[in-house]
Amino acid sequence: MIRGALVTLALAVSLGPFVVLVVNSVRPSDAFLASGAGFIPSEITFDHYRAVFGGDGDTLRFLWNSVVVTAATTVLALLLGAPAAYALARLKLPFRLSIVFALAFLIVRFYPKITIALPYYLIMRDLGWLDTHLAVILAHVSITVPFVVWLMLGFLEELPREIEQSAMMDGCGAWGRFVWVVLPLSAPALGAAAVLTAFTSWNEFLMASTVATNSAKTLPVRISAFITDKGILWGNMAAMGSVIVVPVALFALATQRYLVRGLTAGAVKG
Amino acid sequence: MTDRQTLLLCLLPALLLLAVTQFYPLAQSLRVSLHDWTLARSPVMGEFVGGANYLRVLNDRQFSGALSFTLSLALGSTLLSLAAGFALALLTLGEDWRFRMSRTLLLLPMVIAPVAVGTVWRMMLAARIGPVNEALRALGLPTPNWLGDPRLAQFTLTVIDAWQWTPFVMIVMSAALASLPSEVLRAAQMDGAGRALILRRIVLPMVLPVLLLVAMFRMVDALMTLDIVFTTTGGGPGFATQTLGYWIYVQGLRYFNISYAAAASWLLLVLCMATAAGFLVWRKRIMAWQGGQ
Repeated sequence: MIRGALVTLALAVSLGPFVVLVVNSVRPSDAFLASGAGFIPSEITFDHYRAVFGGDGDTLRFLWNSVVVTAATTVLALLLGAPAAYALARLKLPFRLSIVFALAFLIVRFYPKITIALPYYLIMRDLGWLDTHLAVILAHVSITVPFVVWLMLGFLEELPREIEQSAMMDGCGAWGRFVWVVLPLSAPALGAAAVLTAFTSWNEFLMASTVATNSAKTLPVRISAFITDKGILWGNMAAMGSVIVVPVALFALATQRYLVRGLTAGAVKG
Repeated sequence: MTDRQTLLLCLLPALLLLAVTQFYPLAQSLRVSLHDWTLARSPVMGEFVGGANYLRVLNDRQFSGALSFTLSLALGSTLLSLAAGFALALLTLGEDWRFRMSRTLLLLPMVIAPVAVGTVWRMMLAARIGPVNEALRALGLPTPNWLGDPRLAQFTLTVIDAWQWTPFVMIVMSAALASLPSEVLRAAQMDGAGRALILRRIVLPMVLPVLLLVAMFRMVDALMTLDIVFTTTGGGPGFATQTLGYWIYVQGLRYFNISYAAAASWLLLVLCMATAAGFLVWRKRIMAWQGGQ
């Protein structure tokens, strides 16, 4: 009894704000100011969505930027990370170099990205890549590749090597074994890595706001500008927030199995 | 090509990318922090000044203010989310569909962008139109200005951060609890006087290594907090809710005091690394002690 009540309360606290966000995004502007207007709006409007998408709102472009960056980051992080993890799991290197390299990937998780943000900005400026998708994608890949490597590494170390041996006897090289034997078996780990990478990239604010100064802005960078606007446009802010939050919430519900696997992989075993 | 060469080629691109986009900038920011450089005045780095930037940062009132708020936010948010997340993991334990669905839904706060979390809560807590105050008003309770009063805003930000990351603790602790022997779990879920004792004496020690690891991740991440500040308070009122990350961002990327910001960012880096190392040593000691019993 008490248990059910407590879980219900937790659900209300966790999900309530999402409901408020979406409801506010369709609430008419004048209803924000009328105090005691009630939570359920008496009429529904899509004006705020029209305002943020049309005219100088430019949300469509930021949405497109976010989609491009997230997709490219996910593909690249897997393309770079999965082979690297396989190499780390199978290579025997002198001077404990395998451990050194593995730790090099791990350590990225433990320092503040603000420390690299400025030099990264300067590098991109010198390359003439400021305000391009590429600059944002590279930053996101470098943050997410370590996730992919560690997730895959944990998985590959559990994978029995005998599975690869028969392929080896058939004359299959390391690359062939990786592509035809190991990768298909790694689908669950790859899925978890992909989902985690996509979330990270879609939500990332700091690096994107550092290098995407104008036309390459992603959605999180755009919404952070609302605070400086004089006289907050609550409705537009809610519409913009919904555009960021609703897709990712639905995606999370659809992929929660992978998400949970990815998040718990390292912690529980090790 | 030998297998060895193939594997080395597999490893190389990822390492190279990290070297160029992470480790080189890291070294570069250390170098900048030892020189005099304000990007607004000069496009190239000035002369070597040794530790002068660090001394200036350490004597800066805004730095110490940001440091103390960052520490209290990190500590408060970590403790709150550990307590709430562990409690939720215990409450939703089991394979009943209602608990499974609750676990999935409770996960949502952590998958949305921290900047969006800030936006959402700014809306929830708005002094006049926010649903929180509207509800309080309906109950005849006082309606505080959650983000407008310095002390209260610091508290509010801590709770918002804990709200976002409680699901992380819950997920990991759920997995840790699920891996315990089933007799232990059944005993822990029984109602009655023995339950608290079983939790404290049996369950807690068994999941303690995982709990400490989660605490480490939470603490280190919370020390780096900056996103939610942008969309809730912008560091205000005054400078009350500037976190170190936010303050460094403003110094470096808005005022372009880059050598100054670089020095501060290295101090933050040391703080994060030391925290992580401290937790790992602590965890090792506890595990060794448990193993010795």
